[in-house]
Amino acid sequence: MGQLLEKGHRLSTKCSSNTCEIIQFLGGGGQGEVYKAKLANREVAIKWYFPGYLEHDTDLRERIEKLIKSGAPNNRFLWPEDLVLSTEDDTSFGYVMELRERRFKSLTDLMKRKIEPELHVLTTVGFELAFNFLQLHTMGFCYRDISFGNVFFDPSNGEVRICDNDNVDVNGTDGAIEGTPRFMAPEIVRGEASATTSTDLFSLSVLLFYLFMSSHPLEGLHESSIHSFDLPAQKQLYGLRPVFIYDPEDTSNRPDPNVHRNAIDSWPIYPSFLRELFIRAFTEGLRNPDSRIRESEWRSAMARLRDCIYYCSNCGEENFCDFETKSSNAICWSCGKNTRTPMYLQLGRHQISITRDTKIFPHHADKDSLYDFSNPVAEVSRHPTDPDRWGIKNLTQIKWTASAAGGKTLEVEPGRSIGIVPGTVINFGKTDGEIKIQ
Amino acid sequence: MALPGGELASRPLYFFWICDCSGSMGGQKIQSLNTAIRESLPEMKQVADENPSASIYLRVIEFSSGARWKNVQPVPLEKFSWSDLSAESTTDMGKAFEMVAEQLKMPPMPERALPPVLVLVTDGQPTDDYKKGLKAINDLPWGKKSVRIAIAIGGDCDLDMLQEFIGNPEIKPLSANNPEALARYIKWASTAVVKDVSSPQSQPVSRRAAANVQIPQPPAQGTDPDVW
Repeated sequence: MGQLLEKGHRLSTKCSSNTCEIIQFLGGGGQGEVYKAKLANREVAIKWYFPGYLEHDTDLRERIEKLIKSGAPNNRFLWPEDLVLSTEDDTSFGYVMELRERRFKSLTDLMKRKIEPELHVLTTVGFELAFNFLQLHTMGFCYRDISFGNVFFDPSNGEVRICDNDNVDVNGTDGAIEGTPRFMAPEIVRGEASATTSTDLFSLSVLLFYLFMSSHPLEGLHESSIHSFDLPAQKQLYGLRPVFIYDPEDTSNRPDPNVHRNAIDSWPIYPSFLRELFIRAFTEGLRNPDSRIRESEWRSAMARLRDCIYYCSNCGEENFCDFETKSSNAICWSCGKNTRTPMYLQLGRHQISITRDTKIFPHHADKDSLYDFSNPVAEVSRHPTDPDRWGIKNLTQIKWTASAAGGKTLEVEPGRSIGIVPGTVINFGKTDGEIKIQ
Repeated sequence: MALPGGELASRPLYFFWICDCSGSMGGQKIQSLNTAIRESLPEMKQVADENPSASIYLRVIEFSSGARWKNVQPVPLEKFSWSDLSAESTTDMGKAFEMVAEQLKMPPMPERALPPVLVLVTDGQPTDDYKKGLKAINDLPWGKKSVRIAIAIGGDCDLDMLQEFIGNPEIKPLSANNPEALARYIKWASTAVVKDVSSPQSQPVSRRAAANVQIPQPPAQGTDPDVW
């Protein structure tokens, strides 16, 4: 039950001068309450503030009007669309935003293992987070509160929704929110700085670490040795003496095997390039805000990580191929047995594992179309009559040329496939790709 | 298909309801308290659901002539159900404090936890030696770290005594002069206080704290007339 608005309560939108009617209470937080409402035949969400909160956050209305005017970076943000006001009660106000569909689940659900998405979905979530926060920052905005509670994703495909955008403001302006404990940059925890895009980058790194490791990057032996996890203890751990659990120089805060199993189990399964990024994020990036990993780096790493996925030849579980080690065998993290590493396609600077469901996108095949994952240009396909034969199918409208290892030249018409044989070089139009073994 | 690792490691948060069941609580007061706590449970469970870093366990002790645990072992919040209290006899609050202190020793308390939350709900003054029981709590490491809330029902409580129980001048006893105020305070203690002790929320700029645990502002009592 909400405290502020009753079912059937009517509010009016400021810009569009429509009436919206409260349908039901959805949830409450520290700032206000969120309701489902009907607005001109459309179901929307209304956030309505506690009058007491408005006394604290005096710039809120101006800030929201600015956000409404600028518009959302893209459809991943549940962004304020219009102000709503009450004719009966002028002590508060609210705003309209799109309803979050039920298919979107919280990262808390992932941390509690109420959902267990596949690893390639997690890489897509990571990619979407980096891509979309970059869009927000590119507009000159700072988010201020990247954390579990504000990000949702579809466990079937990794699509994200970013909520609680009412703390967003132009970077460099004073805000009402410092962030959420465990996600705040050390300089904020120490009371030396306010939230900026640079502290957003730290929070994003923490969120990505949680996403892949289901543990906190600074919670190791220093955390498990704390008896009472109160504010002084948290200030020490996250602000005064933060040490990354896998800091190569300072090993004092390694994960405690009795507490931090997730970190111990998860860390080794990722390719070294991802681990090195996390090391940078939580060593140099802890100490120097200017050395934090940029979203563009995370975006590139997430796309690369997705290309590393293959299936264990014993148990079928998703594994990540570490192309830098160039080993034909690896140990599957799930069944513990030796697994054959896959053949891969070297396409420009991209290395793409070849598995039963690999797709090649303009992102891979055209250096002018980076991060274009809209329509695949090729996919792995099975031979129509011989299920043991696999090929790469031409999904474009143009004919490919290919040369086999022995020198023979082949043409691959649109809709046809070329067999997967090491040494074959395929010209995808703008880039040559070679099928390789490790 | 599965993921490596399992659920995020969490710390336990032990939440104690310390409830006055003396004769003066009889009738409407005890029934209002039963209802208020029952009503607060779904939202408390929602708070727990939203916080992967804390596992909440509940304990309930009632005191009247002597004191009794309503549940012998701490019960995980998701399995907890409230069994109604009934009122009788004297106000042996000190005995309840002694029994709470026993449970704050290590063991049964684990070495790693969030600060325990002790919520005292009373309508009167102790009839036994409360100072001895309170000292037993204050002498323990987990007792020192505990966050204490006191809710006074009606106007007959000794607020100085409740302040002594709280042991922190920044937190005042809450006076609930009607059932609505009681319900608001019970909900606040079981949701807002729990949230802040387990610290998952967005932090406003003004909330930089020097204290061990930052306690949120309690809800306003309102202007409803006294109906006890």
